[in-house]
Amino acid sequence: MKKYLYIYKSEIMSSLQYIFNILLNMVGYTVLVFIFFNLWDYIYEDASQLINGYTKNQMIWYIIVTEMLWQASGARKLCRKICEDVRGGNIAYNINKPYSYIGYVISSHLGEMTIKALITIIVGIIFGMIFLNELPQISLIGIIIVLISAFLSILINTILVTAIGLLSFTIEDASPIYWLYSKVILILGTMFPMEFFPKIIQTIVRFSPIYAISYGPARLFVNFDIKNAVVILITQMIYVGIALGISNILYKKGVKKLNVNGG
Amino acid sequence: MLTVVKDIKNQLKVTCISIKYALMREMINKASFLMNIIFMILNNSCFIIQWIVIYSLKSEIGGYSFKQILLLWGISASTYGFAHFFFKKSFSLSDTITNGKLDSFLVQPKNVLISAITSEVEVSAIGDMIYGYILLFLSDINIFKFVLFTLFTICGGIVITDFAVIFASLSFWIGKSDTVADTANDLITNFSTYPDGIFKGLSKILLYTIIPVGITTYIPVKMLTEFKISLTAIVIVMSIILTLLTFGIFYKGLKKYSSSNLMISKI
Repeated sequence: MKKYLYIYKSEIMSSLQYIFNILLNMVGYTVLVFIFFNLWDYIYEDASQLINGYTKNQMIWYIIVTEMLWQASGARKLCRKICEDVRGGNIAYNINKPYSYIGYVISSHLGEMTIKALITIIVGIIFGMIFLNELPQISLIGIIIVLISAFLSILINTILVTAIGLLSFTIEDASPIYWLYSKVILILGTMFPMEFFPKIIQTIVRFSPIYAISYGPARLFVNFDIKNAVVILITQMIYVGIALGISNILYKKGVKKLNVNGG
Repeated sequence: MLTVVKDIKNQLKVTCISIKYALMREMINKASFLMNIIFMILNNSCFIIQWIVIYSLKSEIGGYSFKQILLLWGISASTYGFAHFFFKKSFSLSDTITNGKLDSFLVQPKNVLISAITSEVEVSAIGDMIYGYILLFLSDINIFKFVLFTLFTICGGIVITDFAVIFASLSFWIGKSDTVADTANDLITNFSTYPDGIFKGLSKILLYTIIPVGITTYIPVKMLTEFKISLTAIVIVMSIILTLLTFGIFYKGLKKYSSSNLMISKI
Protein backbone atom coordinates (compact mmCIF):
# COMPACT_ATOMS: atom_id res chain seq x y z
CA MET A 1 0.00 0.00 0.00
CA LYS A 2 2.92 2.30 0.81
CA LYS A 3 4.24 2.19 -2.75
CA TYR A 4 0.84 3.22 -4.17
CA LEU A 5 0.68 6.08 -1.69
CA TYR A 6 4.10 7.18 -2.93
CA ILE A 7 2.92 7.04 -6.56
CA TYR A 8 -0.20 9.01 -5.55
CA LYS A 9 1.89 11.72 -3.83
CA SER A 10 4.35 11.97 -6.75
CA GLU A 11 1.47 12.51 -9.18
CA ILE A 12 0.00 15.26 -6.98
CA MET A 13 3.36 17.07 -6.98
CA SER A 14 3.64 16.59 -10.73
CA SER A 15 0.12 17.91 -11.41
CA LEU A 16 0.96 21.09 -9.46
CA GLN A 17 3.31 21.95 -12.34
CA TYR A 18 0.28 22.24 -14.64
CA ILE A 19 -1.94 24.33 -12.40
CA PHE A 20 -2.60 26.85 -15.21
CA ASN A 21 -3.93 24.07 -17.45
CA ILE A 22 -6.18 22.82 -14.63
CA LEU A 23 -7.56 26.35 -14.11
CA LEU A 24 -8.17 26.70 -17.84
CA ASN A 25 -10.02 23.37 -17.84
CA MET A 26 -12.42 24.92 -15.35
CA VAL A 27 -13.72 27.14 -18.17
CA GLY A 28 -15.27 24.02 -19.74
CA TYR A 29 -16.90 23.04 -16.45
CA THR A 30 -18.30 26.52 -15.79
CA VAL A 31 -19.64 26.71 -19.35
CA LEU A 32 -21.53 23.43 -18.85
CA VAL A 33 -22.94 24.63 -15.53
CA PHE A 34 -23.91 27.92 -17.20
CA ILE A 35 -25.71 26.09 -20.04
CA PHE A 36 -27.65 23.85 -17.61
CA PHE A 37 -28.48 26.83 -15.41
CA ASN A 38 -30.04 28.58 -18.43
CA LEU A 39 -31.81 25.42 -19.55
CA TRP A 40 -33.46 24.70 -16.18
CA ASP A 41 -34.13 28.38 -15.60
CA TYR A 42 -36.13 28.25 -18.85
CA ILE A 43 -37.96 25.01 -17.98
CA TYR A 44 -39.01 26.00 -14.44
CA GLU A 45 -41.73 28.65 -14.42
CA ASP A 46 -40.87 29.80 -10.87
CA ALA A 47 -38.44 28.87 -8.09
CA SER A 48 -41.11 27.17 -5.96
CA GLN A 49 -42.32 24.83 -8.75
CA LEU A 50 -41.62 21.12 -8.16
CA ILE A 51 -40.71 18.84 -11.07
CA ASN A 52 -40.50 15.16 -10.13
CA GLY A 53 -39.86 16.23 -6.52
CA TYR A 54 -37.07 18.72 -7.29
CA THR A 55 -37.14 22.51 -7.00
CA LYS A 56 -35.19 24.59 -9.54
CA ASN A 57 -32.34 25.15 -7.08
CA GLN A 58 -32.14 21.46 -6.16
CA MET A 59 -32.07 20.51 -9.83
CA ILE A 60 -29.24 22.94 -10.64
CA TRP A 61 -27.24 21.89 -7.54
CA TYR A 62 -27.74 18.24 -8.58
CA ILE A 63 -26.15 18.99 -11.97
CA ILE A 64 -23.35 21.08 -10.42
CA VAL A 65 -22.40 18.06 -8.23
CA THR A 66 -22.74 15.35 -10.91
CA GLU A 67 -20.76 17.41 -13.45
CA MET A 68 -18.19 18.08 -10.71
CA LEU A 69 -17.80 14.33 -10.12
CA TRP A 70 -17.52 13.61 -13.83
CA GLN A 71 -14.94 16.37 -14.44
CA ALA A 72 -12.92 15.31 -11.40
CA SER A 73 -12.77 11.70 -12.68
CA GLY A 74 -10.87 12.62 -15.86
CA ALA A 75 -12.16 9.31 -17.23
CA ARG A 76 -11.57 9.99 -20.94
CA LYS A 77 -7.88 10.67 -20.36
CA LEU A 78 -7.49 7.52 -18.25
CA CYS A 79 -9.18 5.30 -20.85
CA ARG A 80 -7.02 6.76 -23.65
CA LYS A 81 -3.85 6.18 -21.59
CA ILE A 82 -4.63 2.51 -20.87
CA CYS A 83 -5.66 1.86 -24.50
CA GLU A 84 -2.35 3.37 -25.68
CA ASP A 85 -0.38 1.41 -23.07
CA VAL A 86 -1.92 -1.84 -24.28
CA ARG A 87 -1.86 -1.12 -28.03
CA GLY A 88 1.60 0.46 -28.02
CA GLY A 89 3.15 -2.24 -25.83
CA ASN A 90 4.12 0.20 -23.03
CA ILE A 91 2.31 -2.08 -20.61
CA ALA A 92 5.26 -4.52 -20.96
CA TYR A 93 7.44 -2.06 -18.98
CA ASN A 94 4.98 -2.21 -16.07
CA ILE A 95 4.52 -5.97 -15.93
CA ASN A 96 7.96 -6.71 -14.49
CA LYS A 97 7.78 -3.91 -11.88
CA PRO A 98 7.19 -4.78 -8.19
CA TYR A 99 3.62 -3.44 -8.24
CA SER A 100 0.29 -4.33 -9.78
CA TYR A 101 -0.43 -2.47 -13.04
CA ILE A 102 -4.01 -1.81 -11.92
CA GLY A 103 -2.85 -0.44 -8.56
CA TYR A 104 -0.31 1.76 -10.35
CA VAL A 105 -2.83 3.13 -12.86
CA ILE A 106 -5.47 3.87 -10.21
CA SER A 107 -3.11 5.51 -7.70
CA SER A 108 -1.33 7.61 -10.34
CA HIS A 109 -4.63 8.70 -11.92
CA LEU A 110 -6.19 9.62 -8.56
CA GLY A 111 -3.04 11.60 -7.73
CA GLU A 112 -3.24 13.42 -11.05
CA MET A 113 -6.90 14.26 -10.44
CA THR A 114 -6.71 15.35 -6.76
CA ILE A 115 -5.82 19.01 -7.36
CA LYS A 116 -8.32 19.20 -10.24
CA ALA A 117 -11.04 17.72 -8.00
CA LEU A 118 -10.35 20.27 -5.23
CA ILE A 119 -10.42 23.19 -7.67
CA THR A 120 -13.61 21.83 -9.31
CA ILE A 121 -15.34 21.63 -5.91
CA ILE A 122 -14.38 25.24 -5.09
CA VAL A 123 -15.41 26.53 -8.53
CA GLY A 124 -18.68 24.55 -8.42
CA ILE A 125 -19.64 25.91 -5.00
CA ILE A 126 -18.74 29.51 -6.02
CA PHE A 127 -20.77 29.23 -9.24
CA GLY A 128 -23.70 27.67 -7.44
CA MET A 129 -23.69 30.52 -4.93
CA ILE A 130 -23.46 33.15 -7.69
CA PHE A 131 -26.34 31.64 -9.71
CA LEU A 132 -28.59 30.45 -6.89
CA ASN A 133 -27.63 32.59 -3.85
CA GLU A 134 -28.05 29.65 -1.45
CA LEU A 135 -26.60 26.28 -0.51
CA PRO A 136 -28.87 23.27 0.03
CA GLN A 137 -29.72 22.69 3.73
CA ILE A 138 -27.02 20.33 4.92
CA SER A 139 -25.15 19.90 8.22
CA LEU A 140 -21.36 19.68 8.65
CA ILE A 141 -21.58 15.90 9.17
CA GLY A 142 -23.69 15.75 6.02
CA ILE A 143 -20.98 17.59 4.06
CA ILE A 144 -18.30 15.18 5.35
CA ILE A 145 -20.43 12.17 4.33
CA VAL A 146 -21.05 13.70 0.89
CA LEU A 147 -17.28 14.23 0.46
CA ILE A 148 -16.62 10.55 1.36
CA SER A 149 -19.35 9.48 -1.06
CA ALA A 150 -17.86 11.76 -3.76
CA PHE A 151 -14.44 10.17 -3.26
CA LEU A 152 -15.95 6.67 -3.56
CA SER A 153 -17.82 7.78 -6.69
CA ILE A 154 -14.57 8.95 -8.36
CA LEU A 155 -12.83 5.73 -7.23
CA ILE A 156 -15.54 3.47 -8.71
CA ASN A 157 -15.53 5.43 -11.98
CA THR A 158 -11.72 5.23 -12.16
CA ILE A 159 -11.69 1.44 -11.61
CA LEU A 160 -14.53 0.81 -14.09
CA VAL A 161 -12.82 2.94 -16.76
CA THR A 162 -9.60 1.02 -16.08
CA ALA A 163 -11.56 -2.19 -16.77
CA ILE A 164 -12.91 -0.69 -20.03
CA GLY A 165 -9.39 0.36 -21.05
CA LEU A 166 -8.14 -3.19 -20.39
CA LEU A 167 -10.66 -4.46 -22.96
CA SER A 168 -8.07 -3.20 -25.49
CA PHE A 169 -6.31 -6.54 -24.95
CA THR A 170 -9.27 -8.15 -26.73
CA ILE A 171 -10.73 -5.56 -29.11
CA GLU A 172 -7.62 -3.43 -29.87
CA ASP A 173 -9.34 -0.07 -29.32
CA ALA A 174 -11.73 0.15 -26.38
CA SER A 175 -12.53 3.86 -26.92
CA PRO A 176 -15.94 3.16 -28.56
CA ILE A 177 -17.00 1.14 -25.48
CA TYR A 178 -15.93 4.07 -23.31
CA TRP A 179 -18.01 6.51 -25.41
CA LEU A 180 -21.13 4.45 -24.76
CA TYR A 181 -20.32 4.00 -21.05
CA SER A 182 -19.79 7.75 -20.61
CA LYS A 183 -22.99 8.65 -22.46
CA VAL A 184 -25.11 6.24 -20.43
CA ILE A 185 -23.73 7.75 -17.20
CA LEU A 186 -24.19 11.26 -18.61
CA ILE A 187 -27.82 10.82 -19.67
CA LEU A 188 -29.13 8.55 -16.92
CA GLY A 189 -27.07 9.94 -14.04
CA THR A 190 -25.47 13.32 -14.67
CA MET A 191 -28.12 15.29 -16.52
CA PHE A 192 -31.20 14.04 -14.66
CA PRO A 193 -31.91 12.40 -11.30
CA MET A 194 -33.48 8.95 -11.77
CA GLU A 195 -36.92 10.26 -10.71
CA PHE A 196 -37.18 11.87 -14.19
CA PHE A 197 -37.35 8.45 -15.90
CA PRO A 198 -40.08 5.80 -16.15
CA LYS A 199 -40.23 3.23 -13.30
CA ILE A 200 -38.45 0.50 -15.29
CA ILE A 201 -35.43 2.76 -16.01
CA GLN A 202 -35.42 3.92 -12.36
CA THR A 203 -35.03 0.27 -11.30
CA ILE A 204 -32.19 -0.26 -13.79
CA VAL A 205 -30.41 2.90 -12.56
CA ARG A 206 -30.96 1.88 -8.93
CA PHE A 207 -29.09 -1.39 -9.46
CA SER A 208 -26.42 -0.06 -11.85
CA PRO A 209 -23.12 1.74 -11.16
CA ILE A 210 -24.87 5.00 -12.17
CA TYR A 211 -26.46 5.02 -8.70
CA ALA A 212 -23.04 4.82 -7.03
CA ILE A 213 -21.22 7.13 -9.44
CA SER A 214 -23.68 9.99 -10.05
CA TYR A 215 -27.09 9.82 -8.43
CA GLY A 216 -26.06 8.77 -4.90
CA PRO A 217 -23.63 11.55 -3.90
CA ALA A 218 -25.57 14.28 -5.74
CA ARG A 219 -28.89 13.24 -4.18
CA LEU A 220 -27.26 13.30 -0.73
CA PHE A 221 -26.02 16.85 -1.32
CA VAL A 222 -29.36 18.27 -2.46
CA ASN A 223 -31.53 16.35 0.01
CA PHE A 224 -29.48 14.85 2.84
CA ASP A 225 -30.95 11.96 4.80
CA ILE A 226 -28.87 9.68 7.05
CA LYS A 227 -30.76 6.48 6.06
CA ASN A 228 -30.08 7.16 2.39
CA ALA A 229 -26.47 8.02 3.20
CA VAL A 230 -25.90 4.58 4.78
CA VAL A 231 -27.49 2.79 1.80
CA ILE A 232 -25.46 4.84 -0.71
CA LEU A 233 -22.14 4.35 1.10
CA ILE A 234 -22.69 0.55 1.42
CA THR A 235 -23.68 0.33 -2.28
CA GLN A 236 -20.55 2.29 -3.23
CA MET A 237 -18.27 0.01 -1.20
CA ILE A 238 -19.82 -3.07 -2.83
CA TYR A 239 -19.21 -1.49 -6.25
CA VAL A 240 -15.54 -0.79 -5.39
CA GLY A 241 -15.13 -4.53 -4.73
CA ILE A 242 -17.02 -5.61 -7.87
CA ALA A 243 -15.13 -3.14 -10.11
CA LEU A 244 -11.74 -4.24 -8.70
CA GLY A 245 -12.69 -7.89 -9.27
CA ILE A 246 -13.66 -7.24 -12.92
CA SER A 247 -10.47 -5.23 -13.58
CA ASN A 248 -8.25 -7.97 -12.15
CA ILE A 249 -9.95 -10.70 -14.19
CA LEU A 250 -9.64 -8.65 -17.41
CA TYR A 251 -5.99 -7.86 -16.68
CA LYS A 252 -5.03 -11.48 -15.92
CA LYS A 253 -6.82 -12.75 -19.06
CA GLY A 254 -5.38 -9.93 -21.20
CA VAL A 255 -1.77 -10.33 -20.12
CA LYS A 256 -1.84 -13.96 -21.25
CA LYS A 257 -2.64 -12.74 -24.78
CA LEU A 258 0.04 -10.03 -24.74
CA ASN A 259 2.52 -10.21 -27.58
CA VAL A 260 5.11 -7.41 -27.66
CA ASN A 261 7.59 -6.97 -30.46
CA GLY A 262 10.81 -5.62 -28.98
CA GLY A 263 12.65 -2.68 -30.48
CA MET B 1 -6.32 34.62 -63.16
CA LEU B 2 -5.79 31.32 -64.99
CA THR B 3 -2.71 30.59 -62.87
CA VAL B 4 -4.71 31.12 -59.66
CA VAL B 5 -7.44 28.72 -60.84
CA LYS B 6 -4.76 26.18 -61.81
CA ASP B 7 -3.08 26.56 -58.40
CA ILE B 8 -6.39 26.02 -56.56
CA LYS B 9 -7.13 22.99 -58.75
CA ASN B 10 -3.69 21.51 -58.02
CA GLN B 11 -4.04 22.18 -54.29
CA LEU B 12 -7.46 20.48 -54.21
CA LYS B 13 -6.04 17.48 -56.09
CA VAL B 14 -3.14 17.11 -53.63
CA THR B 15 -5.49 17.56 -50.63
CA CYS B 16 -7.84 14.85 -51.94
CA ILE B 17 -4.90 12.45 -52.44
CA SER B 18 -3.62 13.21 -48.92
CA ILE B 19 -7.05 12.53 -47.38
CA LYS B 20 -7.47 9.38 -49.49
CA TYR B 21 -4.19 7.90 -48.24
CA ALA B 22 -4.92 8.93 -44.64
CA LEU B 23 -8.27 7.13 -44.90
CA MET B 24 -6.64 4.04 -46.43
CA ARG B 25 -4.21 3.90 -43.48
CA GLU B 26 -7.15 3.92 -41.07
CA MET B 27 -8.93 1.17 -43.02
CA ILE B 28 -6.14 -1.36 -42.47
CA ASN B 29 -8.05 -2.75 -39.47
CA LYS B 30 -11.57 -2.95 -40.91
CA ALA B 31 -13.25 -4.17 -37.69
CA SER B 32 -11.87 -1.25 -35.68
CA PHE B 33 -12.75 1.15 -38.52
CA LEU B 34 -16.41 0.06 -38.64
CA MET B 35 -16.70 -0.12 -34.85
CA ASN B 36 -15.53 3.49 -34.52
CA ILE B 37 -18.20 4.69 -36.96
CA ILE B 38 -21.09 2.60 -35.59
CA PHE B 39 -20.34 3.36 -31.94
CA MET B 40 -20.09 7.09 -32.69
CA ILE B 41 -23.60 6.97 -34.20
CA LEU B 42 -24.87 5.11 -31.11
CA ASN B 43 -22.99 7.51 -28.84
CA ASN B 44 -24.68 10.53 -30.45
CA SER B 45 -28.07 8.80 -30.42
CA CYS B 46 -28.00 8.68 -26.60
CA PHE B 47 -28.69 12.42 -26.53
CA ILE B 48 -32.12 11.89 -28.10
CA ILE B 49 -33.16 10.45 -24.71
CA GLN B 50 -32.07 13.70 -23.04
CA TRP B 51 -34.37 15.72 -25.29
CA ILE B 52 -37.28 13.27 -25.01
CA VAL B 53 -37.13 13.75 -21.22
CA ILE B 54 -36.87 17.56 -21.53
CA TYR B 55 -39.75 17.79 -24.03
CA SER B 56 -41.92 15.66 -21.73
CA LEU B 57 -41.66 18.59 -19.27
CA LYS B 58 -42.29 21.44 -21.73
CA SER B 59 -43.60 21.53 -25.31
CA GLU B 60 -40.98 23.99 -26.58
CA ILE B 61 -37.49 24.87 -25.42
CA GLY B 62 -36.02 28.27 -26.33
CA GLY B 63 -38.49 28.59 -29.21
CA TYR B 64 -37.44 25.21 -30.67
CA SER B 65 -39.82 22.33 -31.33
CA PHE B 66 -38.58 18.73 -30.96
CA LYS B 67 -38.06 18.49 -34.74
CA GLN B 68 -35.97 21.67 -34.70
CA ILE B 69 -33.86 20.21 -31.87
CA LEU B 70 -33.23 17.18 -34.09
CA LEU B 71 -32.10 19.57 -36.84
CA LEU B 72 -29.90 21.47 -34.34
CA TRP B 73 -28.23 18.20 -33.33
CA GLY B 74 -28.02 17.10 -36.97
CA ILE B 75 -26.26 20.23 -38.17
CA SER B 76 -24.07 20.32 -35.06
CA ALA B 77 -22.95 16.67 -35.51
CA SER B 78 -22.34 16.97 -39.25
CA THR B 79 -20.30 20.21 -39.00
CA TYR B 80 -18.25 18.70 -36.18
CA GLY B 81 -17.80 15.51 -38.22
CA PHE B 82 -16.82 17.44 -41.38
CA ALA B 83 -14.17 19.46 -39.52
CA HIS B 84 -12.74 16.49 -37.62
CA PHE B 85 -12.69 14.16 -40.61
CA PHE B 86 -11.13 16.41 -43.24
CA PHE B 87 -9.09 18.71 -40.98
CA LYS B 88 -8.32 16.51 -37.97
CA LYS B 89 -4.84 17.92 -37.42
CA SER B 90 -6.14 21.48 -37.00
CA PHE B 91 -7.31 20.33 -33.55
CA SER B 92 -3.76 19.36 -32.53
CA LEU B 93 -1.99 22.05 -34.58
CA SER B 94 -0.70 23.72 -31.42
CA ASP B 95 1.29 20.56 -30.61
CA THR B 96 2.57 20.42 -34.22
CA ILE B 97 3.83 24.00 -33.94
CA THR B 98 5.39 23.83 -30.46
CA ASN B 99 7.13 20.50 -31.08
CA GLY B 100 8.63 21.59 -34.40
CA LYS B 101 6.63 19.09 -36.44
CA LEU B 102 5.80 21.72 -39.09
CA ASP B 103 9.25 21.24 -40.67
CA SER B 104 8.13 18.37 -42.88
CA PHE B 105 5.25 20.44 -44.27
CA LEU B 106 7.41 23.50 -44.94
CA VAL B 107 9.45 21.63 -47.54
CA GLN B 108 6.37 20.49 -49.46
CA PRO B 109 5.59 22.52 -52.62
CA LYS B 110 1.97 23.15 -51.55
CA ASN B 111 0.16 25.29 -48.98
CA VAL B 112 1.71 24.63 -45.55
CA LEU B 113 -1.48 25.06 -43.51
CA ILE B 114 -3.66 22.87 -45.74
CA SER B 115 -0.97 20.17 -45.94
CA ALA B 116 -0.55 20.17 -42.16
CA ILE B 117 -4.23 19.97 -41.23
CA THR B 118 -5.26 17.39 -43.84
CA SER B 119 -2.47 14.90 -43.12
CA GLU B 120 -4.69 12.68 -40.92
CA VAL B 121 -8.40 11.79 -40.73
CA GLU B 122 -10.63 11.01 -37.73
CA VAL B 123 -12.57 7.84 -38.51
CA SER B 124 -15.23 8.31 -35.82
CA ALA B 125 -16.08 11.69 -37.44
CA ILE B 126 -17.64 9.73 -40.33
CA GLY B 127 -20.15 8.48 -37.72
CA ASP B 128 -20.87 12.10 -36.72
CA MET B 129 -21.57 13.07 -40.34
CA ILE B 130 -23.80 10.03 -40.94
CA TYR B 131 -25.69 10.78 -37.71
CA GLY B 132 -26.24 14.38 -38.86
CA TYR B 133 -27.84 13.18 -42.10
CA ILE B 134 -29.94 10.53 -40.26
CA LEU B 135 -31.44 13.33 -38.14
CA LEU B 136 -32.06 15.40 -41.27
CA PHE B 137 -34.01 12.47 -42.72
CA LEU B 138 -36.02 12.19 -39.49
CA SER B 139 -37.17 15.80 -39.84
CA ASP B 140 -39.05 17.04 -42.91
CA ILE B 141 -36.69 16.55 -45.84
CA ASN B 142 -36.66 17.45 -49.53
CA ILE B 143 -33.91 17.88 -52.14
CA PHE B 144 -33.59 21.63 -51.43
CA LYS B 145 -33.13 21.02 -47.68
CA PHE B 146 -30.62 18.26 -48.38
CA VAL B 147 -28.51 20.62 -50.53
CA LEU B 148 -28.85 23.45 -47.99
CA PHE B 149 -27.89 21.10 -45.13
CA THR B 150 -24.78 20.00 -47.06
CA LEU B 151 -23.86 23.63 -47.78
CA PHE B 152 -24.19 24.54 -44.07
CA THR B 153 -22.22 21.43 -43.08
CA ILE B 154 -19.31 22.54 -45.28
CA CYS B 155 -19.48 26.20 -44.16
CA GLY B 156 -19.87 25.27 -40.47
CA GLY B 157 -17.09 22.67 -40.67
CA ILE B 158 -14.76 25.25 -42.20
CA VAL B 159 -15.65 27.84 -39.52
CA ILE B 160 -14.98 25.31 -36.72
CA THR B 161 -11.61 24.52 -38.36
CA ASP B 162 -10.83 28.25 -38.70
CA PHE B 163 -11.58 28.76 -35.02
CA ALA B 164 -9.28 25.84 -34.08
CA VAL B 165 -6.44 27.08 -36.32
CA ILE B 166 -6.66 30.66 -35.01
CA PHE B 167 -6.33 29.50 -31.38
CA ALA B 168 -3.61 26.95 -32.26
CA SER B 169 -1.67 29.70 -34.08
CA LEU B 170 -1.27 31.47 -30.73
CA SER B 171 1.52 28.91 -30.19
CA PHE B 172 3.69 30.91 -32.61
CA TRP B 173 3.68 33.80 -30.14
CA ILE B 174 3.03 32.35 -26.66
CA GLY B 175 4.42 28.83 -26.97
CA LYS B 176 2.28 25.93 -25.74
CA SER B 177 -1.37 26.91 -26.26
CA ASP B 178 -3.03 23.50 -26.65
CA THR B 179 -5.19 23.86 -23.52
CA VAL B 180 -6.42 27.29 -24.67
CA ALA B 181 -7.21 25.85 -28.11
CA ASP B 182 -8.97 22.78 -26.64
CA THR B 183 -11.04 24.99 -24.32
CA ALA B 184 -12.07 27.23 -27.23
CA ASN B 185 -13.04 24.21 -29.37
CA ASP B 186 -15.09 22.71 -26.53
CA LEU B 187 -16.99 26.02 -26.21
CA ILE B 188 -18.36 25.64 -29.76
CA THR B 189 -19.28 21.96 -29.22
CA ASN B 190 -21.04 22.60 -25.91
CA PHE B 191 -23.06 25.62 -26.99
CA SER B 192 -24.01 24.25 -30.41
CA THR B 193 -26.16 21.46 -28.96
CA TYR B 194 -28.51 23.73 -26.98
CA PRO B 195 -31.04 26.17 -28.48
CA ASP B 196 -30.00 29.83 -28.47
CA GLY B 197 -33.42 30.83 -27.08
CA ILE B 198 -32.46 29.70 -23.57
CA PHE B 199 -29.62 32.25 -23.42
CA LYS B 200 -30.14 35.92 -22.69
CA GLY B 201 -28.21 39.21 -22.88
CA LEU B 202 -24.45 39.17 -23.28
CA SER B 203 -24.14 35.39 -23.64
CA LYS B 204 -26.49 35.48 -26.64
CA ILE B 205 -24.48 38.29 -28.26
CA LEU B 206 -21.25 36.30 -27.73
CA LEU B 207 -22.76 33.26 -29.46
CA TYR B 208 -23.29 35.26 -32.64
CA THR B 209 -19.91 37.03 -32.54
CA ILE B 210 -16.81 35.81 -30.67
CA ILE B 211 -18.00 32.19 -30.33
CA PRO B 212 -19.29 31.58 -33.87
CA VAL B 213 -22.03 29.05 -32.97
CA GLY B 214 -24.61 31.35 -34.55
CA ILE B 215 -22.93 30.90 -37.95
CA THR B 216 -22.19 27.18 -37.60
CA THR B 217 -25.52 26.06 -36.09
CA TYR B 218 -28.23 28.54 -35.05
CA ILE B 219 -28.67 30.42 -38.37
CA PRO B 220 -28.50 27.15 -40.42
CA VAL B 221 -31.29 25.61 -38.29
CA LYS B 222 -33.45 28.71 -38.83
CA MET B 223 -32.71 28.61 -42.58
CA LEU B 224 -33.67 24.95 -42.81
CA THR B 225 -37.00 25.81 -41.16
CA GLU B 226 -37.66 29.10 -42.95
CA PHE B 227 -35.30 29.89 -45.81
CA LYS B 228 -33.96 33.43 -46.27
CA ILE B 229 -31.40 34.14 -48.97
CA SER B 230 -29.89 37.09 -47.03
CA LEU B 231 -29.06 35.06 -43.90
CA THR B 232 -27.72 32.17 -45.99
CA ALA B 233 -25.46 34.64 -47.80
CA ILE B 234 -24.26 35.96 -44.41
CA VAL B 235 -23.21 32.42 -43.40
CA ILE B 236 -21.28 31.93 -46.66
CA VAL B 237 -19.62 35.38 -46.59
CA MET B 238 -18.67 35.05 -42.91
CA SER B 239 -17.13 31.63 -43.60
CA ILE B 240 -15.00 33.10 -46.40
CA ILE B 241 -13.93 36.12 -44.31
CA LEU B 242 -13.03 33.95 -41.32
CA THR B 243 -11.03 31.57 -43.55
CA LEU B 244 -9.05 34.47 -45.09
CA LEU B 245 -8.41 35.83 -41.59
CA THR B 246 -7.24 32.37 -40.46
CA PHE B 247 -4.73 32.08 -43.31
CA GLY B 248 -3.54 35.64 -42.54
CA ILE B 249 -2.98 34.88 -38.83
CA PHE B 250 -1.32 31.50 -39.50
CA TYR B 251 1.12 32.89 -42.07
CA LYS B 252 1.92 35.90 -39.89
CA GLY B 253 2.74 33.48 -37.08
CA LEU B 254 4.68 31.18 -39.40
CA LYS B 255 7.29 33.94 -39.83
CA LYS B 256 8.07 33.49 -36.13
CA TYR B 257 8.35 29.69 -36.41
CA SER B 258 11.77 28.24 -35.69
CA SER B 259 12.65 24.67 -36.59
CA SER B 260 13.59 22.18 -33.89
CA ASN B 261 15.43 19.92 -36.36
CA LEU B 262 13.00 17.19 -35.30
CA MET B 263 13.43 14.01 -37.35
CA ILE B 264 10.14 12.20 -37.93
CA SER B 265 9.06 9.71 -40.53
CA LYS B 266 5.91 10.42 -42.56
CA ILE B 267 4.39 7.33 -44.12
